[in-house]
Amino acid sequence: MVLNNKKWDEKFWLRMREEVLNTWHTGKDVNLKLGIEYHKSLPLEKQFDYVLKKGEKEGKILLQPRAGVPILKEHIELLKYLQENEADLLPTTIDSYTRQNRYKEAQFGLDESLKEGKSLLNGFPAVNYGVRGCREIIENVRIPVEVRHGSPDARLLAEITLSAGFTSFEGGGITYNIPYSKDVPLENSLLYWQYVDYLVGYYAENGIIINRESFGPLTGTLVPPCISISIGIIEALLAAEQGVKSFSVGYGEGGNIIQDVASLRVMKKLTKKYLEEFGYKDIHLTTVLHHWMGGFPEDEARAFAVITYGTIAGFLGSVSKIIVKTPQEAIGIPTKEANAQALRNTRQTLQMLENQYFIDQKLVEEEEKVIEEEVKSILDRVYSLGEGDWVIGTIRSFSAGVLDVPFAPSKFIHGRVMPIRDNNGAIRFFDFGNLPIPLEIKNFHREKIEERVKFEKRPVSFQMVLDDIYAISKGRLIGRPKVEGKR
Amino acid sequence: MGEKTIVLGVIGSDVHAVGLRVLDYALRSAGFDVVNIGVLSSQEDFIKAALETGARAILVSSLYGHAELDCQGFKEKLIEAGLGDILLYIGGNLGVGKKSWEEVEKRFKELGFHRVYPPKTMPDEVIKDLKEDLNIG
Repeated sequence: MVLNNKKWDEKFWLRMREEVLNTWHTGKDVNLKLGIEYHKSLPLEKQFDYVLKKGEKEGKILLQPRAGVPILKEHIELLKYLQENEADLLPTTIDSYTRQNRYKEAQFGLDESLKEGKSLLNGFPAVNYGVRGCREIIENVRIPVEVRHGSPDARLLAEITLSAGFTSFEGGGITYNIPYSKDVPLENSLLYWQYVDYLVGYYAENGIIINRESFGPLTGTLVPPCISISIGIIEALLAAEQGVKSFSVGYGEGGNIIQDVASLRVMKKLTKKYLEEFGYKDIHLTTVLHHWMGGFPEDEARAFAVITYGTIAGFLGSVSKIIVKTPQEAIGIPTKEANAQALRNTRQTLQMLENQYFIDQKLVEEEEKVIEEEVKSILDRVYSLGEGDWVIGTIRSFSAGVLDVPFAPSKFIHGRVMPIRDNNGAIRFFDFGNLPIPLEIKNFHREKIEERVKFEKRPVSFQMVLDDIYAISKGRLIGRPKVEGKR
Repeated sequence: MGEKTIVLGVIGSDVHAVGLRVLDYALRSAGFDVVNIGVLSSQEDFIKAALETGARAILVSSLYGHAELDCQGFKEKLIEAGLGDILLYIGGNLGVGKKSWEEVEKRFKELGFHRVYPPKTMPDEVIKDLKEDLNIG
């Protein structure tokens, strides 16, 4: 079979499915028919897409934490605690061994965790638990649960968790490969994710709408908006082709509120436009803001400020949901109390912002124009490199550097783009790599950076980028040079 | 390779790449020959790189909370490979959940690490320690 952007043939999928279900012993308990029946028995309040629509209707931004621990009983307790603390949507974050399909190591980590009575894995090893264990999660909570991970090959994970009653699944062939692996070719991850999207499409054909979400923040480190938006649009198009009917595009907060609001608006507008233009007219599209994904301050008081600040951008950008960070982000995996504190903090902030859409529309529109033009010229090039095929275009674009992601571990990208903040904290390009950005816009970036160079009286350098990477964790948005005697 | 060769990488199934990039840059700027084996590196990857390059130190990074599992038996394997004396550092978010730093440090010293760094350690501190431990100016 040739890898391209065409809906799979069912026979091809079924053949691959047999292989996939045999990669770990819990695969044999997956039964599509029973899975579909179970989904049909779920109350509306446990269905992700329904709750997203309800949120939109009520004008309520939904909150979702990140959470996952290895021991099932504790995981359920954790989720129940979060649903009583302002979570509208629940996660199950999968451990890193499972993400890399290392189920044996996940089993060892799970066994050791059970033996020592403490969590030695950084998430829930869903494949090892199988359909039955996963379904216990769904049975014991009253709101929808999404699988969140970072797996280039999540075929088995999807089969098991969807069959168990999870109603949303995060990831994509680009966003769960490039930031999450070193040597998985895009050809592989795109194929694996077509499988997942086809599976979700299969459920849809049987009347079960499962939400799919692209992982917008990518490396979470100063990602220029046009990069994550372009990639999100591509993943939406690929998912729609395989039959996905509910899709969320995501964006990691950058820190400059004008730029963030502009990005969120462009993301929604352009994703919708591309989906419609390419014939996918019945997709329920939603948007997601991730609170700041880079380094956090250790001081919890300061960390709360970062969280609250991000909430404002999400509110002004009218997103469907916010993925909430916690005050313990700098330390590692948070306690449930810290997680709940962050949810309550975010709810309080949103409810105080009610109806206050204060923002300089003119500045936002200016920024929107720039981002829109960047995204369009990137996507134009991807489409033409693919000779009209988004999958082929994606593969060729990454190898040509037309698509690129800063600070990503994958060896299949150029890795030449280098971001930097301007004097207002907006993320600009210090090095465009091979991104097809129009000259006029390149000059705009350079002018913006020049303002900072003048203000800080120092040339642009990698040191400046480093200062930006650590700035928020050290107390401010922009990585200003150190002043003698001052922190 | 020479006196200033060090192996740098992220151990286990961890993909956090940013800190590695930063450390790589800072260590090179400080005059070290950096053999950066990247993210998702196994114990064997570290050992192989150290043997091939005659490195004097191995710097292990871990941010995702599985460090304790990933580092089990590492020291023993190093000794087996004839690298029992190589300088061994680790840094990052080393535990899952809230544990006292003293506990974490003690655990990793038991696992054979000479120095253990908490989150947010800046490269300058590591460079200073490296120079001291390796007796280079």
